[in-house]
Amino acid sequence: MESVEGAARTLPSIGRLSRGPPFGRAQGRFGLSPSGRLLPPAPRSQENVDPQQTAFLLRKQWTLYSVTPLYRFSGARLRDYGRLLGAFIAAEKQKGLAVEVGVELDIKVAVSSLPDLRGSDQDQAAVLVQLSSRSSASRKNSEEKLLWSGWFCCVSGDDLSERVPEDFTCLPLFLANGAESYTSIVGSWFQKTFDCCFRRLAISPLNLSWMAAMWTGCKVDKTASALELVFSVPSLPQPLDILYAIHPEDAKDLWDTVQKTPGEITQEEVDVFMDCLYSHFHRHFKIRLSATKLVKVSTAIASAHCDGFIKFLQSQYLTGVLMLLTELAISQIQ
Amino acid sequence: MDETVAEYIRRTVLKIPRDEIKTMLQKWGFLSEMQLQTVNFHQLKENISQDVVQLCEENSADIKQAAVLDIIYNHIYPNKRMWSVYQMNKTGEEIEFFDFTDFKKKFKRRLRSALKNVTINFREYEDNAIWIRIAWGTPYTKPNQYKTSYVVYHSQTPYVFLSASVLRSNLPLLCQALVVASNYHDIREVELRSHSLNSLKDIVFKRYSQNFQTYCPRPLSERKVAPESADVRIIQENRNEKERIQRVNREVFGDGPQPKLEFAQYKLETMFKSDPKMDVMYKKEPFRCLVKFSSPHLLESLKSLAPVGMADAPLSPLLTCIPHKARNYFKIREKKGFFPESFVSP
Repeated sequence: MESVEGAARTLPSIGRLSRGPPFGRAQGRFGLSPSGRLLPPAPRSQENVDPQQTAFLLRKQWTLYSVTPLYRFSGARLRDYGRLLGAFIAAEKQKGLAVEVGVELDIKVAVSSLPDLRGSDQDQAAVLVQLSSRSSASRKNSEEKLLWSGWFCCVSGDDLSERVPEDFTCLPLFLANGAESYTSIVGSWFQKTFDCCFRRLAISPLNLSWMAAMWTGCKVDKTASALELVFSVPSLPQPLDILYAIHPEDAKDLWDTVQKTPGEITQEEVDVFMDCLYSHFHRHFKIRLSATKLVKVSTAIASAHCDGFIKFLQSQYLTGVLMLLTELAISQIQ
Repeated sequence: MDETVAEYIRRTVLKIPRDEIKTMLQKWGFLSEMQLQTVNFHQLKENISQDVVQLCEENSADIKQAAVLDIIYNHIYPNKRMWSVYQMNKTGEEIEFFDFTDFKKKFKRRLRSALKNVTINFREYEDNAIWIRIAWGTPYTKPNQYKTSYVVYHSQTPYVFLSASVLRSNLPLLCQALVVASNYHDIREVELRSHSLNSLKDIVFKRYSQNFQTYCPRPLSERKVAPESADVRIIQENRNEKERIQRVNREVFGDGPQPKLEFAQYKLETMFKSDPKMDVMYKKEPFRCLVKFSSPHLLESLKSLAPVGMADAPLSPLLTCIPHKARNYFKIREKKGFFPESFVSP
């Protein structure tokens, strides 16, 4: 596969941002800690995303992958891809790579588009792949059971899509829910067909702290759930896990006093926010949380785990979280 | 033999690790030694349990005998259950002679007066521990042998260890029966829970090694902080600090093995105070948070934090007081008045 040409990186123009979802685009180079992220004032809710259409994405745990650009992929050929993938899976089963031992399953493949899940018109619309089963025993009156879902998306991925040759489609973020064996088969087919590469996307403690800070500041309609941080110290003779849950109102109040620059979040503000939480903890327990590993962050908006798992909890902030994750995926690809 | 009893015995035997089955059946004593000889204890467990059920059939086992086997299993493997600690109180200092028969009679009578469908079994062990197994039913259904509560009562102490089942509604009745049977006045739950029954006993009966100053400490020179390297040119920086941390840790945690707890939970309602350098103004109300520490062996884990530099030494009293205070659930509020920096746990 030809490598992506590195062209000069341009900062996103302000005009495009004002349309964007509430979580800002990173300023500065990818891969390093962003010096700041810009935010428009109000959350974009129903205009971008139909909550009904995306309700099935909420409250499920998704495993995250980064995907390199797809070669000669066409959004108009999704039906064909569904057929081809179905044939591939059937062939794999024949070969004896059974996905489910001892059960006779007909696997039905559906590939569709999720047009609302994107940041701007430059982004490719999200592509959803679903595997359902129909028990071959009773073909007539059997129910279809959803076995596995995976979707590719790109939210505000212009920094990548601008620098990629014509034949390539950028859908750098992939999310999967269901048995690992299915993920493996579907991934293999895409890798073979579009000459791309999937890699598990880990989330660093630095990025988790960003998520904690940003999501704490979001307004939620219903009663918010607590800001939960989970720290792990695995290297001790007896491993230790620490759950630190802060009342959502108190967390938001603290963030509001820290976050001073209007329309923008800076690294410094995130650091101060986290240091405040660490020092409150240290005052009580004399333990330095900054020396431990932050492994999971959970708020009313979403919950994210460092091994690359995400759960979306609010449809109005779905694209915002996806934008953050797209950014992480792109920085892993570079 | 009732088929529910047969099934219950079969399932109980299946829980036991294969190498232990024969010993446990011998402890049970319901099957004769001759009968046990006829069983091949090297075959698959499924087959062993079938053979055992067959023999129990010959002896016409009933549910009470099956329950005894269950008690024996739980006595040897108590860590499969979660245990809570309760303490009973009585006014007056009368030291009464503990009459086991009287205790059993009163306990059964109190329980059965409220709920006819219960299976109750007692077993006394050498360390004055009385194990009580209760299977709960409802006014209309027979006792569910798979939903049991266990009580371990050390008759010479006011402490009761309880592994209640899912049916929390039966808890008040159970507590009442205990109080009445043991001639106490009331009972309250101590905020201490763990899977390790022995560790709970260690904490509550103060059987772990505490940091008594009367213990003669070995002089520091005998205790090496780290293995000395053969090369004399390599010196240890911060040796004094390392030694200080070790010493303080020993003072605070004691020398012996720590009781085994899996978690400690703190509900914090204290004021938020940041480092003055950080220039963060915050409100006058408490900063509400919940902190939970989890580990396969929490106290050992906490003890190892300071030596690796993740915590200060001495560690906070909120953590080190866990065995002394015999609790692992805390609510911490700001103490008003003279010492605004200190914490109180109610």
